[in-house]
Amino acid sequence: MLLSSVIIILREVLEATLLIGVLLSLSKQTRLSTRWAPGSVFIGFVSAYFYSRNFTRISGWFEGMGQEVTNAFIQYLLYILILCIIVLLFRKTQRPTAKSWIISSIMALIVILSITHEGSEILIYLSNFFLVQDHVPIVIAGAVIGTSIGVSVGILIYFVLTNVMPHYSSYTGVFLLILFSGGMLSHATNLLIQADWLPSQLPIWNTSSIISEQSISGQLLYAIMGYEATPTVLHAAIYFGGLVVAMILAILSMTRNKWRVE
Amino acid sequence: MEQDRKRIHKAGWCILVLYICLSPATFAERPVITIEIRNHLFIPSEITVPANTKVKLMIKNLDSTAEEFESYELNREKVILGHQKAVIFIGPLSPGEYPFFGEFYPKTAQGKIIVE
Repeated sequence: MLLSSVIIILREVLEATLLIGVLLSLSKQTRLSTRWAPGSVFIGFVSAYFYSRNFTRISGWFEGMGQEVTNAFIQYLLYILILCIIVLLFRKTQRPTAKSWIISSIMALIVILSITHEGSEILIYLSNFFLVQDHVPIVIAGAVIGTSIGVSVGILIYFVLTNVMPHYSSYTGVFLLILFSGGMLSHATNLLIQADWLPSQLPIWNTSSIISEQSISGQLLYAIMGYEATPTVLHAAIYFGGLVVAMILAILSMTRNKWRVE
Repeated sequence: MEQDRKRIHKAGWCILVLYICLSPATFAERPVITIEIRNHLFIPSEITVPANTKVKLMIKNLDSTAEEFESYELNREKVILGHQKAVIFIGPLSPGEYPFFGEFYPKTAQGKIIVE
C-alpha cells in the first residue's frame, strides 16, 4: 500500500512540479517576476478541491463523458497557453511592464490548471482512505514521500536550468516546454478517443517491447512527453503536428526577436 | 512542379481524413459489457471481446470508495467514484490479452480483456 501510494502521488505531482520548475527558471532567465508562483499554487489547490468535490456532477456531463471532456479541454488549453509563452517570452516590446504582466498571468493560469487537473485526482485518492478509515497513516506517509520526491525533482530542474547550465537554460527550458506541450496534446487526444468523441483505430505501431509504458523510463517519458507505446493514426498526427507547430513558433520567436541568452 | 506538390499534399490529407472517417471501426457495432467493482475486485475479471470491434464497457462501482480503471495496454484511465457508474470505450483491438487494474487498489483489483 505504501509503494502504490507513493507511485500514484508521485505520478500526479511530478507533472505539475516539472512544469512549475521550468516556468520559474524561464521567468528568472528572462528577468520576469516570479511573484505569480505562490498565489497560483494556492489557487490551484483550491480549484483542485472544488473540482474533486464536484467530480460526480462533472463526470455526468456530456452523457457520462464529462471527466474525459473536461480534462481534455484543460490539456488542450494548457497546450495553447504554452504556445503563448513560447511566442511572447522573448518578444521585444515598448511596454515591458505590460509584457511582464501578460506572461506572468499566463504562467499563473498554466500552474492553476495543471494543479487543478493533477491535484483533484490526488484528493479523490486520499479521501478514499479517510472515508473508510483504512490504512490512513500508510497512505499519508506515501503521499508525503511521493510529494517530497516530486517537489524535489521540480526544484532540481529549476536549479539545474538556472545554475548549472545558465547559458543554455532558456533554450533547454523552451525545449522542455515543447515536450510538455506534446504530452498534453497526447493526453487530451487519448481522453477524447476514450470518450468516443474522436475515432479510434488499430494502433499504427507498438513500441512496448522497446519501452514499456509500465517501466520507470516509460512512466517518466509519459509524464514528460506523453509517451504512448500504441498510438493510433489520429493520435500520432495530432501529437507530431502539435510538436511541429510548437517548434516552428519557438524558432520564429528566437530568430525574429534576436534571441538574447542571459 | 509546385502545383503537383500541392496536389500530392491535398491528396495526402484527403486520404488521412477518409481513413479516419470511413474506417470500419468507426461504424462498427458496439457491444456493451458490464463490469462491477465489488470489494476492490473487478467482477468478472476476465472478459472476452471480438477482435477489431469497438466495445462499450459499463463499469459499476458498488464499493463506497473510488477506483481508477487503468490499462497501459488499452491506453485507458478513468476515475469512478463510490456507488457510481462510468462508460469507457475500448477498441478496436487486435487479438491478444489486455490487462487492466484499479490504480487505487492495485493488489486486488486486477483483470484482463481477451480479444479473439
